[in-house]
Amino acid sequence: MPLDLEKMEGDIFTSKGMVKAEFTFWVGLAMDKFYDGTTDQKFIGTKCSKCGKVFLPPRNRCGDCFAKAEEFVDLPGTATLKNFTITPWKITERRAKKGNKNALVGLVQVDGADSAFMTEILNTTEDKLEEGMKLKVVWAKRIKGHPQDIAGFEPVGGA
Amino acid sequence: MERIGIVGYHQVRPELDLQMSPYECIFTAVRGALDHAGLKRKDITTVISATNDYYDGKTISNCFKVSAGGAYMKDESKVEMDGAHAAQYAMFRILSQNHKLAMVYGFSMPSCMPFECTRILELDPTFDRPISLMNSYSTCGMQMRAYMKKYGVSEEQIAEATATNWKNAAKNPLALQEAQKADMTAAEVLKSDYLASPLRELMYPLLGDGCTALILAPEKQALKITDNPVWITGVGNCQETYYFGERDLTTSLSMEKASEAAYKMAGVKPSDIDVAELFGYTACEDIILAESAGLAEKGKGDSLVAKGCLNPSGGATSGMTPCATGLNRIIEAVKQLKGEAEEHQVSGVKKAIASGQIGFCAQNNIIYVLEGGN
Ligand SMILES: [Zn+2]
Repeated sequence: MPLDLEKMEGDIFTSKGMVKAEFTFWVGLAMDKFYDGTTDQKFIGTKCSKCGKVFLPPRNRCGDCFAKAEEFVDLPGTATLKNFTITPWKITERRAKKGNKNALVGLVQVDGADSAFMTEILNTTEDKLEEGMKLKVVWAKRIKGHPQDIAGFEPVGGA
Repeated sequence: MERIGIVGYHQVRPELDLQMSPYECIFTAVRGALDHAGLKRKDITTVISATNDYYDGKTISNCFKVSAGGAYMKDESKVEMDGAHAAQYAMFRILSQNHKLAMVYGFSMPSCMPFECTRILELDPTFDRPISLMNSYSTCGMQMRAYMKKYGVSEEQIAEATATNWKNAAKNPLALQEAQKADMTAAEVLKSDYLASPLRELMYPLLGDGCTALILAPEKQALKITDNPVWITGVGNCQETYYFGERDLTTSLSMEKASEAAYKMAGVKPSDIDVAELFGYTACEDIILAESAGLAEKGKGDSLVAKGCLNPSGGATSGMTPCATGLNRIIEAVKQLKGEAEEHQVSGVKKAIASGQIGFCAQNNIIYVLEGGN
């Protein structure tokens, strides 16, 4: 690709997209099953064969026991809020941008799981968020076996 | 363990937009460290760097830095972690008895790359990355919330410690100029916008372009070079789980393990430590790390900041250069031990600790016990 002289301002040289290097990540057997589950709007985790810890999103091993965690377990759509933050920042691998609107970001532990993950808390307001509150999953309108199948979680019984 | 001497160092003062090429910056630090030790490039036998392919926008980020880093035709390797990890690698090279002098440097230019975006590339690409809610701000915010809640620590207390960091930076001649805020108050910190509640903009460090170099030598060699080396007498590091939702954010398990190992190696107790230079992203994280290193009771670590024995340099708040911040902490601890810290000197420092980290909320910590005297 020829050099884009427009991109050279003064002594600064911006190297942008000269090589398109897209990666393919094979999700593995456990996450493959997880995304099968989200396609049917349900959660599937894995259980450690030694300590019995349940992981969601699932993984095929327990780092602590260094044992297999290949038993799949069905988990409900209900969860507990472990921690949260309210942020106007949206950061992706492409850009970091401070928006005008706050996102409510929760660390959510699905009932029966020993792990937790970050997701958006929907259909409520900042002042209502509290650690320990009960939540339920909100599935995306269009389901496609992707992390964004989980639109977020909302308070049980509405805001 | 045989004592390893720190015989020379140089830190390029970080700037928001340093007017140097990466190679000029690295050369300045490495040449500066050699001059500081009164050594020549030919004396160095191994060069270990800490840089990052994503930060540098090129793969094998060390390969183009060979001439600037003094590594031409030498034993050379790189650590894609913090500079403090590179120093440990250099120690291993020396302890193998194959090397008499090791150059270590850590470098990055955050003005040239979207640092917060590169952190998204640290995430699990099959789940967390496409969701893109986990980042420096949201994780530091949750860490602060968890810590405050567990120990009943107030936002005001964290803001007070944060203000002290900015004020300490004002006394540190190698702090980023924009980080030298001699008149900072807790009230002003609490007036700044939220990055990710309860974390505010003034609780997060400014990023600076820079490079820091350090020269290590085995005991005998160190005493030939200087009659006043600082000794590394202990080191420990530990890696926690990646899975953020399984970590206890109110403490640092990796720092607990790492510091235990380092203290044991050095034969010291936490109560022997006079000053700590720890790499936390925020004052809250500094405090958590200090508590986990046994310097204060859990929930009471802010007293260390008030007393002036935790990050008298301002810590990462004095300017955070990814890959160099842990080395800066080591250099600051060395200065304290040598009585060369000028305006931010703590009196009577005999033993110090310094730490580096990588990963969200210091998933991995590395800590050194440093001692002065012959
Ligand atoms: Zn297990």
